[in-house]
Amino acid sequence: MSLMKSIVAGWLLLAAAGALQGADAGHAAVAPVSGQSEHAEHHALTPDAVEVGNFLGLRITNSMIVTWCVAAVMIVFAQMATRKMREVPEGAQNFWEWLVESLHEFLEGIIGSELVKKTFWFFASIFIFILFCNWLSLIPGVGTIGWGVPTDTGVQVQQPLLRGANADLNMTLAMAMVFFVCWTIWALQVNGPGGFILHLFGPKGETTGALKLLMILVFIAVGVLEVVSILFRPVSLSFRLYGNIFAGENMLEAMASLIQEPAWLKYAAGVVIPIPFYFLEVLVGIVQALVFMLLTSVFTLLICTHEEGHEEGHH
Amino acid sequence: MDCIFFASIIGDTAKQFGVDWPHFISQVISFGIVAFLLHRFAYKPVLKVLEERRQRIAEGLANAERIKAELAKTEAARQEALNQANAQANRLIEEARAAAERFREQKNQETIAQVNQLIAKAKEANEAELARMKSELRREMVRLVAETTAKVTGKILTVEDHRRLAEETNRELAA
Repeated sequence: MSLMKSIVAGWLLLAAAGALQGADAGHAAVAPVSGQSEHAEHHALTPDAVEVGNFLGLRITNSMIVTWCVAAVMIVFAQMATRKMREVPEGAQNFWEWLVESLHEFLEGIIGSELVKKTFWFFASIFIFILFCNWLSLIPGVGTIGWGVPTDTGVQVQQPLLRGANADLNMTLAMAMVFFVCWTIWALQVNGPGGFILHLFGPKGETTGALKLLMILVFIAVGVLEVVSILFRPVSLSFRLYGNIFAGENMLEAMASLIQEPAWLKYAAGVVIPIPFYFLEVLVGIVQALVFMLLTSVFTLLICTHEEGHEEGHH
Repeated sequence: MDCIFFASIIGDTAKQFGVDWPHFISQVISFGIVAFLLHRFAYKPVLKVLEERRQRIAEGLANAERIKAELAKTEAARQEALNQANAQANRLIEEARAAAERFREQKNQETIAQVNQLIAKAKEANEAELARMKSELRREMVRLVAETTAKVTGKILTVEDHRRLAEETNRELAA
């Protein structure tokens, strides 16, 4: 109960601080970028992540920095929590055990005890990583500290140093493609190559004679549609997550700069208006992590579940 | 033609959203590292600990069940022993009571016999004393009669007189 209170209090502070950073969005710090003054009136977040540096030929984007920060935080926290495992857990170990156990039980209820042994690492990582990315992206400073240009109403940030990791399509597509590869491997492991093809194109139900021939043709056509659907899953998964997070960040920025005149009202409105939307984004953050994990787990369940007829065939 | 068209659309979309191979691969590697490290160092130890804890709890519950069963068994045995002890105690009490009753009866009989014996002895003693007293009384009466007769008659009584007076006195007393 006290943990829940702490979390709620923490997010209240975060929401308030976020509102403040939103108010300061136009004034955040910074060195003007030459040649970008023509974009000074452009308030919205750009669809693509902005390059902020170069390391050994690889262009580093602001979303990559957040990704690495989140990865580092997660790994350090997990390492801290599991470094000295005790019989009676406390502190970080208690929280981590609660998280892992809850996710394990949740996934076990969806995809079954056998499949969860094989796939838990992926779904748990997906959920925790997306959740951490989404929530850490709400911390004040993400999207508001960077390089910008001076305008009449303050400095307009053009190249933020940090950007929500899931507000970059590269990240969401990367996770979706990793899932696609894992999904294919798991499907082949469970069904075998023949079973995999049969699962997609094989006729379902008990039919005989000419009707069976017709059903075979029908299910081959259905299989083609299924393949198209499967091929589009990475696209839908990645764009769903990216769209929600990108839209959320844009909305927060728009709400913070909703009122421009007069100056005193601009700051007050920049603090107050985004507050409810920060709570909404906290909710969106966990819902999207849950949706991504649920969809991927259900896709895996569907391909790894044998129908009775097929099972008999395999045996 | 269609393939080129679709490829063009995909290329334009990717460009618009900033998707390119280096960044995509970088993010794949980042996520892969996170997932691997979490799997290796965060999930495995926790799941192992949870499984061990689950087994210990299961063992504890099984032990508790076994102990409960043994306790019930012991309780039943104790109850049985208690019942047997109660029955034995009751039997012993009954036997003791019966023995006591017999003993009391025996003692009563013995007491009655002793009392009767004492009474008989007392009677005998009384009769002996009575006989002795009667004999003394008889002798005394004979002596008094002889003495009185001597005094009244004023003569000295002979042995024969004494014998006759004694016989007459005895006869009178016996009557």
